[in-house]
Amino acid sequence: MTNKDNLFTFADFDEKESERIAAPRYSYWKSVWRTFIHNKVTVTVCIIMLTVVIFSMIQPIFSKYDPMYAPNINDASMKFLKPSLQYPFGTDNIGRNLFDGVWAGAKNSLIIGFVCTFINMIIGIAVGALWGFSKSMDKWMIEVYNVVSNVPFLLIAMILSYVLGSGFKSLIFIMCVSNWIYVAYFIRTQVMIIRDREYNLASRCLGTSTWTMITKNILPFLISVIMTYVAREIPATISYEVFLSYLGLGLGQDNASLGRMISQYTTYMNAYPHLFWIPVSVLAIISVSLYIVGQALADASDPRTHM
Amino acid sequence: MSNKDKEVLLSVKNLEVTFHNEGRRFRAVKNANFDIYKGETFSLVGESGSGKTTIGRAIMRINTLSAGEVIFKGKRISGKISKEDDRDVIRSIQMIFQDPAASLNERATIEYCVSEGLYNFHLYKDEEERIAKVDKALEDVGLLPEHKSRYPHEFSGGQRQRVGIARAMIMEPELIVADEPISALDVSIRAQVLNLMNKLKEEKGLTYLFIAHDLSVVRFISDRIAVIHLGRIVEIAETEELFKHPLHPYTISLLSAVPMPDPQIEKAKKLVVYDESKRDHSGPKPVLQEIRPGHFVFANDREMAEYEAKLQEMEKAEASAK
Repeated sequence: MTNKDNLFTFADFDEKESERIAAPRYSYWKSVWRTFIHNKVTVTVCIIMLTVVIFSMIQPIFSKYDPMYAPNINDASMKFLKPSLQYPFGTDNIGRNLFDGVWAGAKNSLIIGFVCTFINMIIGIAVGALWGFSKSMDKWMIEVYNVVSNVPFLLIAMILSYVLGSGFKSLIFIMCVSNWIYVAYFIRTQVMIIRDREYNLASRCLGTSTWTMITKNILPFLISVIMTYVAREIPATISYEVFLSYLGLGLGQDNASLGRMISQYTTYMNAYPHLFWIPVSVLAIISVSLYIVGQALADASDPRTHM
Repeated sequence: MSNKDKEVLLSVKNLEVTFHNEGRRFRAVKNANFDIYKGETFSLVGESGSGKTTIGRAIMRINTLSAGEVIFKGKRISGKISKEDDRDVIRSIQMIFQDPAASLNERATIEYCVSEGLYNFHLYKDEEERIAKVDKALEDVGLLPEHKSRYPHEFSGGQRQRVGIARAMIMEPELIVADEPISALDVSIRAQVLNLMNKLKEEKGLTYLFIAHDLSVVRFISDRIAVIHLGRIVEIAETEELFKHPLHPYTISLLSAVPMPDPQIEKAKKLVVYDESKRDHSGPKPVLQEIRPGHFVFANDREMAEYEAKLQEMEKAEASAK
């Protein structure tokens, strides 16, 4: 074997080069998006959800459905029609078009679900973040929480709906007046878990204010748990609206409502099953798809799934 | 060499930290006294749970004192101080943390991590200057400007620790409390971080309070060493003095635990186990006393006499060896 020196040359050591990171740049939201669209099932459910939501927002504009308006009330031939091309979901006991009714009801349910969740989350996160940070606030907030959480929500809802009367705004008020405290309590616990981690200590040593700590150090870590909470909260609020309307506490007669519809048509469950099952199915599709999409988003927003 | 003519930067007087847990009290640090001179590296060594980190955190004002005070440049910084002093102290005393993975905000870019202090004190005129400062700080610790948009999890342990150093340095502090800055690092990059810390010290005239349990590292980096045991400082001396003439039994035991790279010596080495309960505790209460200029040892009068005799013997042996 001959020594072929010219085959090898000394490589230069470049200190700067050794510091370079070869991996592609990491972007949080891009990774969230990539993980989310990776799952074909959730994308399908997401498309269904978007279709239902957009349709129920647009359809009532054209149908101008009003539950108090029943022009065919005296026309026996228009009652209890089976689903057909003209009446895709059939007609009900006073000759109203069920198709229009279902979408108008879905629209109201969705608006209430989103608005209440939004209000509850905003108040809950703001209060919860401060609550988790401040030990002096914790002392009295926990007592407030104990008192409020021990009063049954149904009792609050009944009393308030008798006082305020039924209607869109009062229902939103009822659903928000005490529910934000559960969000706040949840956030408080989460904040406490990560409050004393070392990087927060480091921020404190750098003189970072509590507010900046909350927005920069704490909340970005809570995106995925907040997403999970929202994913549960929206369908739960919609179900609760339906439940309250079913009991007669929610929306009044003059508002289309899936809950009121379901409670009205329960009597026709055997004779005209479509009257009962169609509103129930629409409600189920909305709740389940919102829940699945929300959970998928929550999973995708957890950076541990980004690898 | 006398310490009298050096400027005292930080002075800890009768410092005591007590933790409360449901009525039970635990004194983590008992009556600690020491001065840190400007421009030196002062090390605190001791086993886990001895209270060395607690002292560091008390100086950083994370842990509140139950007695005593901390004086920085002639001003008391412990307890309640004015808002202006508070800002000054935050800027002048910075900390390097033990675990680089835990001490950086994972959801923020390196640019934000390093500029955090600049944002808080608005230490820049415009965006351009801020970015220039961040670039300079990263360059000082051997990182590249292109790392600004990266996230902490993309870095190696050594790089992350250097980000932590850059974050502290950008505030232009005078004193840095380094809480075991290399114990979470891989052995291969410890030297890199230590050399960097030494380089920055020379360039910027920094003073370090170095907290560690690794004696070989401490010997390499420090000018003076304080040995702490169960919340009490048992011996303070200049580095070589301490390694040559350890007096307190705990110091001797600690030094005997340093592994030797020579297997022959290592096998012959006798480990000295320190047991507080087996010591002779007779006589008056011990205090920290100066036995030689700059060499303090925690002893009462009886022990002082013993140490003095031992010290003279050691000095005699050295003189005859020469």
